[in-house]
Amino acid sequence: MIEIKNLYFSYDNKAPYLLNNLNLTVGKEDYISVLGDNGSGKTTLIKLILGFLEPSKGEIVNSFRRVGYVPQRIESLNAQFPITVYEMLDTYRKVLKIKDRGSIEKCLDLVMMRGFEGSLVGNLSGGQAQRVFIARALLGEPELLVLDEPSSGVDNASQAEIYSIIRRANREKGIAVVSVEHNLKAACDNSTLIYHLHEAHGHLCRPEDYISEIIGPAGGGKDA
Amino acid sequence: MPEIFQLSFMRNAFLVSAMISVLCPLIGIFLVLRRYSLMGDTLAHASLAGVAAGLLFGANPIFAAFAATAVAGVVIELLRNFYKKYAELILAVVLSLSVGLAITLISSGKVAGDVNSYLFGSVLLVTKYDLYAVAALTAVSLFVVGLLYNQLVFISFDEEGARAARVKIRLINLVFALLVAATVSVCIQIVGVLVLSSLIALPVATALQFRRGFRATLALSVLFSFVDIMLGIVVSYYIGAATGGVIALLSATTLILVIAVRQAASKIGKWVR
Repeated sequence: MIEIKNLYFSYDNKAPYLLNNLNLTVGKEDYISVLGDNGSGKTTLIKLILGFLEPSKGEIVNSFRRVGYVPQRIESLNAQFPITVYEMLDTYRKVLKIKDRGSIEKCLDLVMMRGFEGSLVGNLSGGQAQRVFIARALLGEPELLVLDEPSSGVDNASQAEIYSIIRRANREKGIAVVSVEHNLKAACDNSTLIYHLHEAHGHLCRPEDYISEIIGPAGGGKDA
Repeated sequence: MPEIFQLSFMRNAFLVSAMISVLCPLIGIFLVLRRYSLMGDTLAHASLAGVAAGLLFGANPIFAAFAATAVAGVVIELLRNFYKKYAELILAVVLSLSVGLAITLISSGKVAGDVNSYLFGSVLLVTKYDLYAVAALTAVSLFVVGLLYNQLVFISFDEEGARAARVKIRLINLVFALLVAATVSVCIQIVGVLVLSSLIALPVATALQFRRGFRATLALSVLFSFVDIMLGIVVSYYIGAATGGVIALLSATTLILVIAVRQAASKIGKWVR
């Protein structure tokens, strides 16, 4: 479980805060999509959850022992980097000291990427690369999966496959999910909860209530 | 047997060069892929400042070079936190400091010894001591890179992902910086400050043209490095030029040839299809 209590954050640790008094609990079975405008602090929030940044005030208590992270593909991927899909996964397996070599094939099966072991990661399409990054995250048998815009730069058909994989990981394997989203439909269709960031404050609601509570009945409320 | 292989100093040169041909790309591949290609150059200049200081104060120049490069390597790592998006700026800062210090010490006229031999290197004047030093360093480097191989690959490819996987990035970066420092300080005596960075970067640049996986790229880098260095020694012996310069020219020529051949093959492939 993750408990975010009275969290304040700004890069210089002074007001005005980018994130202002956030409170959020991520339980074992939650799939929380984090929505909000550009610059609302979505990625900053997951960097805080991952421990890349320290809160200015307040605290984040993370009792999940294993966390899988799927970075925003375009930002993280060096297309010229000479690494095959198998090398990337095997490196991760060895870093995490996972003994079962077969776990790589199993994870590639899960994301429907068997047969791509020898391909260079930089040669994959956006959707394929994203699935490989999800396979890497799942390889560590995480209790929490953190994703940063998983469908960014991915075509529609691949988006459906990617969300299906994430949803199954959550519903069938009981992996908690926190996903920064720009894709409102995907967030509403797949998550169990939506956390909306607006003007430094957070608001948690169920997907079916998101339109009425956040956007407003006439669609003229806060932007998603 | 040709004369070149009968001379004991040439045998030493070949032996030490074979080890350097493994050592430089082994370190270089991680530097290049982290966009730190010029770190070797920067540390080579730091080592020159160390050599000058060593000669000035009567200390062993190689140990002084290692001390200077180690300090410079650690400073580069520490500054990375302040200039996350401008890695090359850090190198420019440390390079300026190192060159400034080296020039000041050398131009003071109080440095006793031949600093020039460290600028150009002297692969043909390899002593038994050099041979042992490079052998020891090669063994340590192979061991450390072998031990940290997966972490180094992970950090080089996806530093944020490595941080999320709780890889001890800072510690590994510091160990690696010391490894680079040790490599540079031992190699400058043999290949020279001015050429060292070409040994670190060019074979990797050539291997990257083949667009293979990491292990294959590393193996190709070592292969190109080995061929360029060995040919460089032979050619420099017969034309009487500085070995370091010839090796740099050969490495650059190999890179250009590989690019040209691959481009031509690609065009022919398209034309045939």
